[in-house]
Parts: sequence; structure tokens; C-alpha cells
Amino acid sequence: MRRVAVIGVGTTRFGKHDRTSAELFASAGADALADADLPASRIQALYYGNVVGGETEKQLHTSPQAASVLGLPSIPTTRFETACASSHAAFRHAVMEVASGASDVVMVGGAERVLNVPTPDSTEYFAYASDASWEQTLGLTFPGVFALVARAHMHKHGTTEAQMAAVAVKNHKHGALNPKAQFQKEITLETVLSSARVADPLKLYDCCPFTDGGAALVLASEDVARRTRRPIWVLASAAASDWMLLGDKRDLSRVPATERAAAAAYRQAGKRPEDVDVVELHDCFTIAEIVATEGLGLFEPGTGGLAAEKGWTSLGGKVPVNPSGGLKAKGHPIGATGAAQICEIVTQLRAEAGPRQVEGARTGLTHTLGGNTATVLVSLFGRD
Amino acid sequence: MTEPPPTLSSFFERARDGKLTAIKCDGCGALAIPPRELCAECGQRRWSVVPLSGDGEIASFTVIRIAPRGHAGDAPYAIAAVRLVEGVSLLGRVVDIPFDELAIGRKVRFRPLRIHDVTALGFGPL
Repeated sequence: MRRVAVIGVGTTRFGKHDRTSAELFASAGADALADADLPASRIQALYYGNVVGGETEKQLHTSPQAASVLGLPSIPTTRFETACASSHAAFRHAVMEVASGASDVVMVGGAERVLNVPTPDSTEYFAYASDASWEQTLGLTFPGVFALVARAHMHKHGTTEAQMAAVAVKNHKHGALNPKAQFQKEITLETVLSSARVADPLKLYDCCPFTDGGAALVLASEDVARRTRRPIWVLASAAASDWMLLGDKRDLSRVPATERAAAAAYRQAGKRPEDVDVVELHDCFTIAEIVATEGLGLFEPGTGGLAAEKGWTSLGGKVPVNPSGGLKAKGHPIGATGAAQICEIVTQLRAEAGPRQVEGARTGLTHTLGGNTATVLVSLFGRD
Repeated sequence: MTEPPPTLSSFFERARDGKLTAIKCDGCGALAIPPRELCAECGQRRWSVVPLSGDGEIASFTVIRIAPRGHAGDAPYAIAAVRLVEGVSLLGRVVDIPFDELAIGRKVRFRPLRIHDVTALGFGPL
């Protein structure tokens, strides 16, 4: 298998847009090509993530549409849908296409538009990623899924609402340094703890927002990448799944798919958790970040809340997590999120992240979770 | 001829009549919540329908305050993950227990519910 590098990245500003998801992707895609300093004609395939286009935009068949709007009407395109992990799943398959020798240069992208519909509708559409017969019929929401995880984690480990709130405060602090973030303002613990209840014990500021946005990456084989200015190498890309029904998970305080995907990724890369300098992980809810830092092996099980409280995951801490602001502050355009996390890690490893730069970062990790914790992808990246 | 495994709709038809059931692998005896074609424990494909007591305890719970469009008028409502005495777990709406009396480990019992004209699982006090 050949080595693969990310040679170009691009994202839109995250937030509310009066543009279709295809337009949002295409804007990011053109930026990624400019960043790679390659003509569009070099792209041999598009791997694309989009989740609720069928609902919010009445649009299926989104991958050829996205390629057409970018101006690449003839390349093979495929849409991936693994809920919020869609464009990270697209990325893993794109890496395999280049590693195998089937293509030399491919694009990975994703986009989502949801702020054009009212919140009860987007809440409903996102809930389609839980089981239709067993879970949706109860009125289970995604905050509800992670509220069940939070309650189990609090019961087992003594994790507190204040520790969860510390994750939100930290990610807003990071987001304030990111000019493309949806929320660029700092908040306090009190802001989180006094915010409206969404699904007990989760409150509004424990939850990431609904977001419109797009992201794109250009991947290249080693031969091509060596001729570019600052390739960032893909050291590993691994995926894992878990039972679809939450009830079939034995311990709701854990996400076994994260543990499995992380173990596979570390094995592929020949790395250990302590080798990781910077992390972008799936903080769709504050508790999700706490559980992910444990599942990725960055902290012992049960100590993820303490890590957030003590600042070990802040910029300047032991292992900075979500320097971009994460899903919480940067925003979560679900089909774009996996690709956008990779954009941030590539920017960090190039040492181009400005005020949110993790000094000396050489190895980075991205973690993206899909839906009810049944899909997780973990990838590792390194610089020369 | 291999018998087709019990269908999801047949499970909910029994649940609507107040009978909570699971499926049991004829090979190794593992219990599963349908639908399931192959046993994840032993790979066998033959299942029998077995009754569940409906008794269990809360493994985790939440109170949904911001609901999806289809349940917007119901909020707030409680949902719990319930570990049944047989060892399998199911999610259900919690009924007839005040929110402030919900707790992990609290014992509950199955109640069939109709939520917006669809059969769904509920759990209430013993």
C-alpha cells in the first residue's frame, strides 16, 4: 500500500448560510484546490458526506450534484452516510483508493444545510439516525442519547455537571480564536449551568449547535505529495461499529466503537496515545468529549471529566483537544464535520493555526462519532 | 427448510397485547431483541420466541424537554434504558413515576404504550 498525504484543505465559515449544501461544498473544494496549488483537472474521484439533504433540501444524489457545482462533472463520485461521521468515513475510503494505487489525487468533502428549517424539524431529522422502531417511536433525541450516556457516566465515575460544563467553556475559549467558528465568544461555567434544560442532565450549552457549512480535502499519493509544499501524512484511518440499539450496549458510560477504532488506528500507525500532540474529537455534547478522551486512551476511564476541569485538554495543557473550538463552538454541519476536523489537524501540523496553534505539534488525531455511538472513525496524521 | 426468524412486527403485536418477548438462540441459548438473523454469539440462524417477565431496573434515564417535531406536544417526558431481569436491555418511556423519583437502579415494570398511534414500550412502577 502507498503512503497518502493531505495536500490541500478548505472550509467555509460555519454558521447560517443562504447557500445550498452543494454550493457550500464547492466553495470549500475550490479553496482546497487552491491550497494544494493543483488544477481541478487533477482530481480523479470525489468521496462525499451529506446526511439530511433528503429532508432539509429535498435533495438526494448529492455527490454528483456537489461535483457538478464545483465544476467537475465527469469524475466518479460517491456519497457516504454514517450519520455525523459521514465525511470521515468518506475520507477512510478515499485513503484506500489512493493507497491502493487506483488513483493518485482524490477529493474528500462534505456539506450540510439545516438552518433553513425550524429546530423541531432538524431535531426530528437528526433523530432518524437512531432506530426507527425501537427509539424514534419513544421520541428519543440526540441530546437524549447522550443524556443517557451522561447519567451512566456520572453514576459510575462521579462525573459532575460542572465538569461537563468545563468542556463547553474550554471549547468556546478555543472557538474565540477561530475566525471560521460559529461561536467566537467565551462563556462561563455559570452560562452553561444556568442554560435551559434540553435532555436532563444536558443543558443548551452542553450541546453543539445546528450548523450550515462545507469542508474539503485533497489527498495525494506520495509521488504527487512530495512535489507539494507541505504534505501532511495519513498515518492511519480506522473505523469501528457497535450495536445499533442503545439497549444492546452493555455499559452506557463507554463508547466501545471509539475504543476499537482507536486501537486499530494506533496499531496501523505504530503510535500510542501518549504520542498524540493535538486532537480534534467529536464533542457533539460535552459528555461525548469526556467519554472520547477516555476511549482514545488519552486519560484513564472515569477521569475525562477531571481532565477537562483541570485544563489538561486546553490549549497549553497536557494534550490540547479541539483547538478549533470543536463541534461545540466551531459548529457541526454534520456531513462536513469529519473533513473539517481533518482540515484543522492539517492546519495544526503545518503550524499555520495562528493564535490557536499547538506549539510543536507533530502527531495529530481526529475522532468522529456517528449517531447513537454505533459508528466511529479515528485517523492519525503526521508531518515530515 | 429454515424457519424465518420472528419478525419485528410480530414482536410489537405481542407487546401491544401486553406480552413482552425476546428471541432465544436454539444453538447457544443467547437472548436477543428482534430482528436478528444470525446469533452474534454462535452464528446459528434458528430462534424461538420466549416471554420476558417485563421486570427490570433503570440503567440510565433522561427527561426530554426539547422534542422532535413528531413528539413536540408530549414534552417533557422521561426515557429510560431498562435492564430486564433476564439480562437484555430495552429503552422505554417512563410513565407514572415523577421525574424527581427517577434513579439508576430503581425497579420498573413493562407497560405497553401507544404513542401517536404507534406501539411503543413503556415502563412504570411495580
